[in-house]
Amino acid sequence: MKSAIKSALFVSAAALLQGAFGAGCGASVPLRTEASTSGIRAAEEVGASNVPRAALHLQLAKEELAKAKGIANDGDKDQAASMLMRAEADAELAVALSRESTEKAEAIAAVDRVRHLQQENP
Amino acid sequence: MDPKFLFMSVVCTGFIGACAATVPPELVNARSAYQRASNGPATTVSPAELHVARQALTLAEQSFKDHPDSYRTKDLAYVAQRKAEQATATASITMDQKSQTKANSDYQTAQGNIVAEKKRDLTLTRTALAESERSGAATAQLLSAEQVARTEADKRAAAAQAALANLAAVKDEPRGLVITLSGSVLFASNQATLLPEARTKLDQVAAVLLSTRERNITIEGHTDSQGTDANNLTLSQRRAEAVKDYLVQKGYQVDRVQARGIGEGRPIADNTSPEGRANNRRVEIIISRDSQASNP
Repeated sequence: MKSAIKSALFVSAAALLQGAFGAGCGASVPLRTEASTSGIRAAEEVGASNVPRAALHLQLAKEELAKAKGIANDGDKDQAASMLMRAEADAELAVALSRESTEKAEAIAAVDRVRHLQQENP
Repeated sequence: MDPKFLFMSVVCTGFIGACAATVPPELVNARSAYQRASNGPATTVSPAELHVARQALTLAEQSFKDHPDSYRTKDLAYVAQRKAEQATATASITMDQKSQTKANSDYQTAQGNIVAEKKRDLTLTRTALAESERSGAATAQLLSAEQVARTEADKRAAAAQAALANLAAVKDEPRGLVITLSGSVLFASNQATLLPEARTKLDQVAAVLLSTRERNITIEGHTDSQGTDANNLTLSQRRAEAVKDYLVQKGYQVDRVQARGIGEGRPIADNTSPEGRANNRRVEIIISRDSQASNP
């Protein structure tokens, strides 16, 4: 009888501690949004909003970041972190697409310059 | 029921269930994006980014195997798709940069060629200009020399005319300067052989003529009206040739001398009187005004 009560008390205490510990751990780990945030900022700085495809992915990144924060507030940090991966990937792609557009325009301009020079001096 | 059989059934059912799980659209898209990227220039131009995309796809595939319906699988697949698209964009960037570098290099080369060509043109133009100036100066010199030569020739002609006037009758006619030598001074009657004293006279005339040797001369023999026309024509021709031969012998250019017999056809005096007939019996030496050779 005494040993059964002791076991029950032990199990309850263990459960209580686990719950408290688990809840405490879960609540104290902040959501790491730096990568996504800096990625979005970088995309804005290279003018992604001026390139249609890049602008789309920049917008997606922002929405995903916001969604991640919402999921984190609801208590699911893992899913929030997984959503942040999407935001980061979209931000990086927005930067790449913006640069692609710029480089393409510059390459076309350089080729046109050569053609123009050759036409003026046959 | 046998517990072992039950356990195996559960395991097999789970296995089949996993295999039959629907592939999420994110993973389908990721696979397609990676295939496109790996079939394009990213393989050679942006291999690092393609490798990252492959790793991301592998993670997604593994997650799909382990947890086919989880949000994590979908998120990993979504990320894998973006990585593949990023590899494609990076390849495009690299190729455009190469194109721009080549175009800039071509531009510099073309500019260099244009400048070199312009320099060559400038040098050629300067050379041509210098040559033109030299040529102009040479032409001016030549003209000047010609003018001097012409002036000298005119002076000699004038001097010759003056000298001739002392030797014989000289008249300036449209056909040229006409020196008239009396036939009786040069030849015996009815003869075409020069008399000795005629040679002396002709020597003096020749000396003057040779000072104007660039001129053509025509020697015309004339007779009076005595005798037949045919005889007079023949005699006058022989006399003209005798004078020609003598002048050529003295040094006058043969292709600048012509001899013609006129006969009695061009009298300058009345043939009814002895004086008139004496005047008609003559040799005329006509000095042409031009300097072209008569027998080219």
